[in-house]
Amino acid sequence: MAEAAVEFKGVSYRYPGAAGLALDNVSLRVEIGERLGVLGPNGGGKSTLLKLMLGLLEPSSGTVRVGGRSPREARAAGVIGYVAQRADAELGMPLSVRDVVTLGSAWRVPAWRGVPTEIRARVDRMLGLTGADAFADKPIGKLSGGQLQRAMIARALAADAKVLALDEPTVGIDASGQQMFADLLARVHAELGVTIMVVSHDLRAVVAGSDRVACLARRLHSHTSPQGITPQILAELFSHDVAGLGGVLAGMHVHAHAPSDCCEHEHAKSAGDAPSTVKLSVSGRSKDARAQGGPDANS
Amino acid sequence: MQTLEHLREFGVSGFLVVALLAGLSVVAMCGVLSVLVVVKKLGFVGQGVSHSAFGGVGLAALLAAVGVLPDWPLAQLVVVVLFCVAAALGMAAVSDKRTVPVDTAIGMFLVGSMALGAVLTQVAQGVAAERGRAGVVQSWEAILFGSILTANWEDVIVGWIVCVAVLVTAWIIRRPLLFWAFDEDSASAFGVRGRAMKTVLMILLALAIVVAMRLAGVVLATALLVLPGAAALKLSDRFWPVTILSVLMGVAGLVLGLVASFELSWQPGPCVVLAMTLLFAASVGWSKLRSVASVAGASAAST
Repeated sequence: MAEAAVEFKGVSYRYPGAAGLALDNVSLRVEIGERLGVLGPNGGGKSTLLKLMLGLLEPSSGTVRVGGRSPREARAAGVIGYVAQRADAELGMPLSVRDVVTLGSAWRVPAWRGVPTEIRARVDRMLGLTGADAFADKPIGKLSGGQLQRAMIARALAADAKVLALDEPTVGIDASGQQMFADLLARVHAELGVTIMVVSHDLRAVVAGSDRVACLARRLHSHTSPQGITPQILAELFSHDVAGLGGVLAGMHVHAHAPSDCCEHEHAKSAGDAPSTVKLSVSGRSKDARAQGGPDANS
Repeated sequence: MQTLEHLREFGVSGFLVVALLAGLSVVAMCGVLSVLVVVKKLGFVGQGVSHSAFGGVGLAALLAAVGVLPDWPLAQLVVVVLFCVAAALGMAAVSDKRTVPVDTAIGMFLVGSMALGAVLTQVAQGVAAERGRAGVVQSWEAILFGSILTANWEDVIVGWIVCVAVLVTAWIIRRPLLFWAFDEDSASAFGVRGRAMKTVLMILLALAIVVAMRLAGVVLATALLVLPGAAALKLSDRFWPVTILSVLMGVAGLVLGLVASFELSWQPGPCVVLAMTLLFAASVGWSKLRSVASVAGASAAST
């Protein structure tokens, strides 16, 4: 069997001092060049999954491999291009977009050497591919939510990452920005063929531009195509007792409206199972949704 | 001007030159670090580290009293620096835990070090008197509330050695340090060793603060790490111009402060800090004027 881009095998994780497991026996294989969405409620283990993949946490049991290597080795080699939530960065730093994108790969260059021309060329190419070239010389703190996201994706790609991992990418981005985000991921995937993982509590962010969706609420609830997500899967996923509060949801409400003939409780196994007339509305607020980005001004 | 008249007198100009050289070493390194301190909101760390010097002074006094530490001012300074570095690393390590917010960690080290310093100094005085070595317990005011006008060539040499060491280290790690300072989580995910960056930055800050204390005193040392960067960030949003402006702000504040001290016979440390505060206010005013002018220009162009 060919090597996977990322592979979790029977992975469980318990935070020190915590009573329950944050992740319970999760097995997940992400193929090279695949676009995987990881959907789940807050507290459902999505961030833990990312930290395990980045080698920032060690699994309590099971194994994680990234491109056949341990996560720590993969991180040291720059295999994963991580795109964090917007609010995590110090946006008051006096750096231009180009500076930030360049630093993603130039930090490895010895101090006494200038930034090599091949890095500068790759930075230019990725700024162009993500559409960030239009505001490349703007200060990083003066971007809209959508512009900042494009800059962060350009940084990950310029660092020659093989796996692009996006954590809650649509937080602080409005509906039109989300569509542009989906188009951007499609363009990046078509051009570079990188593996893309979108991790979010937001159904639209995960479904747009994913080949498969993994539904995670401590356990892996289902693993299906975007079309295979049913109201039942969502209802079960988001009503999962992740906080130990008897099913009370932490800031997440799911309303599933479905025709009466498709309400059987079963996980869809394939795209063909998806009822075409299902209407879904998911609303929620990330616990980390501190950033309030405006519409993408540069569109 | 009294300053110019004083400069003609050889004796006065001699110690003014020494004060200026010692001061330049401090504002050069503080100016560079100041940009990171302001952007990463580390001003309170500066307060914590500078006040930790009380503990270091107490420890140095006790070591001198029992005869372990040589009776040199420089030896005392080394102990204070090491103590401050340890306190800075302690703050960084403790605040990593989810249960202790960073300001709580700094507050704990700040008050703990001051209390420890008071107790150790008292014990040291007792031990020294018992052993007939009362003279070796030096006045901690000299370190904690040092005046730049009492600086000597030894201070100049120590200041520039520390300054060059801090600036060279910062230059060597500038790229990973900047990446980490901008975005800690992402930098770690990209392979930057975040804990190492934090440790090195803390050590550099501790070194700069201890040397800065000799210029402005413990209470005002933080000002040298905050004001130049804050002023420079009002004038530019590009990294190298901001860094150069920050150093220039420090130099201007030092010179203006020393001149004011001569002219008005006020203490030099507070004068330097007040001069930097005025420069910061001027930068804020300039930045506001510029934004008003650009808005006016934009509306004129659109009509």
